[in-house]
Amino acid sequence: MKQVLSCSLLTALFLMGACADDPDTRTMDGFCETALARVDSFMATVSGDGPEGVRYGGMAVVGAPAEMGGMNAFAHGDAGAVQHQLFVNLMTLVQYDEKLEPVPYLARSWELSEDESELTFHLRDDVRWHDGEPTTAHDVAFTFLTAMDPRTGFPNPAFFQHYLPGEEGVEVVDSFTVKFRFRPHSEYMDTWRAVAIMPRHLLADVPPEELARHPIGEVCPVGNGPFRFVSRRPGDRWLFEANPAFPDGLGGRPFLDRYTYRVIPEQTILLAELLTGGVDVHVAMFPNHAARAEAEPGLRVVSFPYRSFLFAGWNSRVPKLSDPRVRRALTLGVNRGQIMQGIHGERAVVVNSGIPPVHWAFDPSLGDSLPYDPDQARSLLEGAGWVDRNGDGIRQDSEGSPLRIELILNQNQERQEVAEIMRVQLREVGVDLRPRVVEFATLMGRITSRQRDFEGVLVSWEAEFRLDERDQFHSAAVDGLWAFSGTRDPILDRYLDTLPIITDRGEAIPVWRAYQSRIMEVQPYTYLYSAYRRNGVNERLREVVMDARGEWASIRGWWIAPEDRRTP
Amino acid sequence: MLVYAARRVLAAVPLLLGVATIVFVVLALAPGDPASMYLRPGMSPETLDQIRRNMGLDAPLHVQYGRWLLSFLQGDFGQSLASGIPVKDRILEVLPNTLLLAAVAILLAFVAGIFLGVMQAVRQHSPLDSVLSGTSLFFYSMPSFWLAIMMVLVFSVNAGTVWGWPVSLPPSGMVSDGYDLLGPMARVRDRLLHLVLPALTLTLVLTGGIARYVRNSMLEVIRQDYIRTARAKGLPEWQVVWKHALRNALIPVVTLLGVYFPLLLSGTVFIEYVFAWPGMGRLMVDSILLEDYPVVLAGTFLFGGMVVLGNLLADLLYGVVDPRIRRGDG
Repeated sequence: MKQVLSCSLLTALFLMGACADDPDTRTMDGFCETALARVDSFMATVSGDGPEGVRYGGMAVVGAPAEMGGMNAFAHGDAGAVQHQLFVNLMTLVQYDEKLEPVPYLARSWELSEDESELTFHLRDDVRWHDGEPTTAHDVAFTFLTAMDPRTGFPNPAFFQHYLPGEEGVEVVDSFTVKFRFRPHSEYMDTWRAVAIMPRHLLADVPPEELARHPIGEVCPVGNGPFRFVSRRPGDRWLFEANPAFPDGLGGRPFLDRYTYRVIPEQTILLAELLTGGVDVHVAMFPNHAARAEAEPGLRVVSFPYRSFLFAGWNSRVPKLSDPRVRRALTLGVNRGQIMQGIHGERAVVVNSGIPPVHWAFDPSLGDSLPYDPDQARSLLEGAGWVDRNGDGIRQDSEGSPLRIELILNQNQERQEVAEIMRVQLREVGVDLRPRVVEFATLMGRITSRQRDFEGVLVSWEAEFRLDERDQFHSAAVDGLWAFSGTRDPILDRYLDTLPIITDRGEAIPVWRAYQSRIMEVQPYTYLYSAYRRNGVNERLREVVMDARGEWASIRGWWIAPEDRRTP
Repeated sequence: MLVYAARRVLAAVPLLLGVATIVFVVLALAPGDPASMYLRPGMSPETLDQIRRNMGLDAPLHVQYGRWLLSFLQGDFGQSLASGIPVKDRILEVLPNTLLLAAVAILLAFVAGIFLGVMQAVRQHSPLDSVLSGTSLFFYSMPSFWLAIMMVLVFSVNAGTVWGWPVSLPPSGMVSDGYDLLGPMARVRDRLLHLVLPALTLTLVLTGGIARYVRNSMLEVIRQDYIRTARAKGLPEWQVVWKHALRNALIPVVTLLGVYFPLLLSGTVFIEYVFAWPGMGRLMVDSILLEDYPVVLAGTFLFGGMVVLGNLLADLLYGVVDPRIRRGDG
């Protein structure tokens, strides 16, 4: 009897799952039911037979170790979510090409006024939201006004810091023309490469305070990009399908019929999925896994320099770290090139500032300016009053307090290795570095809170294309969230005030170089390296181009030959 | 019996609320900030404060607790801070996945564990007993995380490509890409194939302990007088062992079922993590890391409820396996 009951229960569980039409069994509220029904209805009217050609068809799966936020540009700012907003489900006014120059996307053209304070975009008139409504200048203005509204809690307000506030900053000239007003500033196009446009007709009535947790982000996204949302199982996968109504002028519908984003948190299993053909792209591979994938026939590793870099940030509010000589010694006492080589081989670059190597302002001539030099590190520490007074190998100040620095970091294999090597190397110059792993939310709380309850922190940072380090290093921002180094330097302040308003790159480059030199003198951080991104790709998936723009930048062009397509 | 069961469940509600309250306080006192998941470079402290307000985190702790308790008592678990999705929906979409995995693993582990335990007991000190004891101990002491990866290497990565086995099992997930395009039978097959590795790994880890438990229990029982009597009556050995001895040996083993089931719901976390199985364990760990306390509290309440139900189930099963307990004369 018991066995019969057990078997019946299991069978019922199985059939329940197996008979469900959709993997996402979540009950949806009224908004989602209506919105997705309208999407289905519109898609049914535009699907037809679809374009013909060997490139059209097939399903591709991208596997990543982390879940992404969602398709709500007002709330979700993590790297995976942003790339899906920009390249998959939503649209921006412009995109960057391979040379990182703006090219038309939702906007077919634009012009800047002579005084560089007005930017007018002329939009395409053939872009529709996935529920059939046209995408217009009203959507663009709505996105701008909502992001500017402090009640929204838009995660990247820095994009709009030079814009005139509210209605002053935007004007809908006609349904497909929108004008923005701002104080002249550098890289003014980057905002419109980075902020996806959101649908006004669905969100205009939602109070700004509620937008961040609106179901349009994670339950029923309605976009206007090349792929439409189909379903999502949180923590497991997102499913998108080609948008047949994507404008012909932008290449028409993408080649793939379907695209799935899978979350596979264990990296070894993610590699196993790549090796067995379960996923076509393995995002963010470990270096040793990349070597394994490269050795496998039918797989390749696409690696490219990226905008992120690793650094140890020092809290200069702590007396022992307030002297630039000490911070400089910490950098000179670490063999950054050796650490980088050991972990990433040739696929990384030592950096000396927060300007990543892919950025036009990066100064490669600074590469060898702070070489591994333990002797100079020792001499700087001695000059700063840190001497080994009791012969235990650790330096002390005049009162006998040891030069002991706690370095906090979150659970991450690479960072733990780096911290351990730093500990050993700094011990050689008399510094007792003590790495301590803490949970990520705790780490963020400690470095961004007003108490700044930390001494050193080992973190990775992803720079935007439009660089502005004011919130990290300007004296006026020293109480801000990101000023965890507590830097106060009048020279840096002058650069940080000037750089954002130099609109000509030619004029900006010498200033950027001077700024980088000053950063090296002040040494708020020990910058370590900028590692290439590594992604394993199954060769059946073609035309996969990845660069500093991101892994999904070329997804519209990905295709699979008919003989290589997997059957469901 | 129904009244007894209902009374037990109701008596557990204050206990569970107490546990959830303690978890609430611990989470509130822990360092970190749930709003930090939205932190981005360039964000001002004012923006972060606004995000906190939008999440309802600006109110004093006792007000937050009061709000939570009030909704909770009305059956509303609130909204996930991370996603804005109602917690009830969030749990309902992953709970069946964990239940399926745990139920299959428990069933297989008890069937295998009981069989192996009996075999060892009736052949005590034989080479078979030694081999099975060693094997049980090996899997029992194996970290499930490592075992899971080994299973994937053998049955997924190497099975098809290196060794040419006819079936290579999927390394992760619950279903294949394109599952929704499959017919009903193909869906069942696809789900079964995805279930094999996580369920088998969990079964291997559990079986060793159960087999040890059954073996010891059987060894005590088969020395009893009534077993000697059964043999003296001339009953066949299989009947003595599987009918007379096992039934009595199972009474303490039933307790294990009551303990294992709730533990499995939370204890599958490593298996769910390795096999990318979207279940309760992963949801809870992710929510703890994000300090998504509405989800953590609801999950804690659920796990606590499972412990109560598991113990209740064990008590009721005692009655099934031992009529003396059912009659109240035990």
